[in-house]
Amino acid sequence: MKKFNPDRRKFLKLGLGLAGGSLILGINWSCSADPDSGSRGNSKDFSPNAWLRLDKMQGVTVIVAESEMGQGPFTLLPMMLADELEVGWKQVKVERAPATPVYGYQLTGGSGSIRKGWSTLREAGAVTKELLLTAGSIHLGVPKADCTATGGWIIHQPTGERVSYGELIDIAATLPIPHIAHLKEPDEFKIIGTPVPRLDTSDKISGRAKYGIDIRLPDMLYATITHCPVFGGKLKGFDATASKAIKGIVDVFSINEGVVVVAKDTWTAFKARQVLKIEWDFSDQELLSDESIIEHIKSVDSGKGKVIQNSGEDIGALSQTRTLESSYILPFQAHVAMEPMNCTARYKGNKLEVWAPTQSPTQAYNTAKDNTRNIAARTLDKIKSKVFGSHDENVEINTTFLGGGFGRRLQQDYVAEVVQIAKKTGKPVQLTWTRDEDVQHDFYHPFSIHELSGKIDARGMPIGWRQIVKGLGISTGNSGRIPYEIPNKLIKAVNIEGPIPTGPWRSVGHHYYTFATEHFLDELARAGSQDPLELRLKLLGSSPRLRNVIEVVADKGNWKDYLTGHRLLGVAARSSFGSHVAQIAEIELIDREYKIRKITCVLDCGLVINPDIAKAQMEGSIVFGLTAALKSKITLKQGRVEQSNFHDYPILTMRDTPEIEVFLVNSQEQPEGIGEPGVPTVAPAVANALLNATGSPVRSLPMAMSISSGQT
Amino acid sequence: MLRLTINGDTHELDVDGDTPLLWVLRDHLSLTGTKFSCGIGVCGSCTVLIDGKPSRSCVLAANQAAGKKIVTIEGISTTDSHPVQVAWEEHQVPQCGYCQSGQILSAIALLNSNPAPTDEDINNALSGILCRCGTYPRVRSAIMSAAAYMLEEGSES
Ligand code: FES
Ligand code: FES
Repeated sequence: MKKFNPDRRKFLKLGLGLAGGSLILGINWSCSADPDSGSRGNSKDFSPNAWLRLDKMQGVTVIVAESEMGQGPFTLLPMMLADELEVGWKQVKVERAPATPVYGYQLTGGSGSIRKGWSTLREAGAVTKELLLTAGSIHLGVPKADCTATGGWIIHQPTGERVSYGELIDIAATLPIPHIAHLKEPDEFKIIGTPVPRLDTSDKISGRAKYGIDIRLPDMLYATITHCPVFGGKLKGFDATASKAIKGIVDVFSINEGVVVVAKDTWTAFKARQVLKIEWDFSDQELLSDESIIEHIKSVDSGKGKVIQNSGEDIGALSQTRTLESSYILPFQAHVAMEPMNCTARYKGNKLEVWAPTQSPTQAYNTAKDNTRNIAARTLDKIKSKVFGSHDENVEINTTFLGGGFGRRLQQDYVAEVVQIAKKTGKPVQLTWTRDEDVQHDFYHPFSIHELSGKIDARGMPIGWRQIVKGLGISTGNSGRIPYEIPNKLIKAVNIEGPIPTGPWRSVGHHYYTFATEHFLDELARAGSQDPLELRLKLLGSSPRLRNVIEVVADKGNWKDYLTGHRLLGVAARSSFGSHVAQIAEIELIDREYKIRKITCVLDCGLVINPDIAKAQMEGSIVFGLTAALKSKITLKQGRVEQSNFHDYPILTMRDTPEIEVFLVNSQEQPEGIGEPGVPTVAPAVANALLNATGSPVRSLPMAMSISSGQT
Repeated sequence: MLRLTINGDTHELDVDGDTPLLWVLRDHLSLTGTKFSCGIGVCGSCTVLIDGKPSRSCVLAANQAAGKKIVTIEGISTTDSHPVQVAWEEHQVPQCGYCQSGQILSAIALLNSNPAPTDEDINNALSGILCRCGTYPRVRSAIMSAAAYMLEEGSES
């Protein structure tokens, strides 16, 4: 046990619940999120929210402020709390937090849920347990020191006499938040570290789980939208005669983002959308294509780039070396979450209610609010909220389950649209995008071109590395850093603003940077006649955890067979979102084609909260990464996206999926992210296996599936 | 008037017969367990069983299903106890969960017609059901477990 002093401004016992049936523990999130913020002492807007509810029937409800889009926060966060509280997993239920500022900035992304929840949720459990211990000792009339808490009971050790948490609620509600509480040491955990089943599984195998698209309100109308197919184009006008002739059409109108059809059901809206005649003003944007983008990128002077890493000498000045040059192109990618973009809204008088499958309820709130007001009112609002920190009770965001997010639902475009539509219709309305709108109006994974140049000394060791990355929407931050200890290196990135919307895509900058780094390192290893796995170990002297996952994957993935030539293997490794991953891809050549037989993956994410969820995230990330490695890309022609649905933006299928084996490093370090770190290494591991098999590097993604057509 | 038998209940609806079954289920009957994703018959999210056969409800006019037995995810069990659901729970298959109705109904149809499927049988039956979260390895192992449970059940009865 580790003693700690609960921040008594952070935890707040809200006493008995409304029905008098439950003990509620609140947390002042604005305080926990930012302990130095001045708003802490401002009691006027201090409205702590329930974090945990304990009822008389021994039920424990944990309120989770993260969005559940598949990565497991609805299970992982309750596990942390339940373990410290000392209750059985079967007692635990999960509830979604409302979108209010007391939960802090609500945004799920960057593999951050575990990292955000780790201290707060455990402390909440520990503080409540302490309260119950005191209450139990009062109830039993025994010294607290003789009592222990376990499985939802306070037990008097000397006599074995016991009382349930449920029976102690009334007493606990009268006690102050304790000055001292205790957090468990890792070897005391009972739930953390075990593969308990997810709390959302049963809803997801029965059709009960409600996603944004499943919201049904009385008298609800159904809407769909057409955006300008050319990025940067504008609406000139439209003719809705044919649309309006369809039975069941309610209205056709335009909003800022495009032309909207409203109908009595989604199908009728889709049908009417098909026959709309819209005139767009494409300006000059029709000239935009993949070729013009590449040409433009190449013309941009890299001198303007941001230096991400720089050490040693200019590699041009290194003598007695061999030089290797290479370049890679990584295309735009769409997110294509299986649930297309959608959102539902209703005005009740002045009050706006929104049901949003969003990764950020806070941003959804801001967007919704902005769209309810004109510019002058918005400006006034901004000033008011700066001065008073106000939250508009007239804007209510209800977050639903998300049918996939992957970064797409960090954007709130569908919220802005539905609010405008609801204002016009005056009735509850659900906006659903067709899949082609979803594919053609995404915030895409950036397009990037990587120019690499390396120097090898006489022993075959890389001693110089220069990487110039230019792209549309690329990150120029730390995800571009390489972990390898190469004495002379320069990494520079130029982000070019363009008309194509880009945004975070599962693993963000790590995806494209890792491909270039890991594949080029193998090219250098080959040029220097080195074993690429051994070379990585040699260059990672001061990265013990990354080294370790490589060593483990070498064993689990049969790297010895690479050396004997028995198997066609490729390795790649990366640290991202606090975690460390190494993967080995095994491929098989069949005539001129190749097939991926197996991906072996080793993850060090610190202390593992739930090994089964961690493994599931690696499996899912590998499938996600393989889609971009082998199958999908977004291309532009005449200013528009050429793809429109899964037939021309294919994703990996059951048949394409290789055997995947995941190993977790047993660690007691701080727990880290699991939703994204498995993605970046897949493509380079496969590319490295191909390089090993064919001798030629991969130049662009997705990789050709046949070897004869070359990897150029 | 459209007459449909869904999960054992008969519904009379004032809906155009050429409306795809998907939208009749979702928008007119609030049976939202059947999901929309591609709308053109290529992803399998909207799979339902028509007389026991998996069918893509986004490209099936509702009047084509009239007089037939329609089963949706809501109709396979009231207690989540269908052997396929039990196996799904055991293998913790869903992530975001959105594609899972299609996966589960396709698995049920497969096992009803082929109690001991091979890997290749599973590929053939399930490869058209897309999952962006990548639950395929678990879908496969859950089908194997479900096959075993169903054989057991069969031999008991
Ligand atoms: S929604 Fe019917 S197959 Fe995709
Ligand atoms: S579980 Fe998310 S799409 Fe399959």
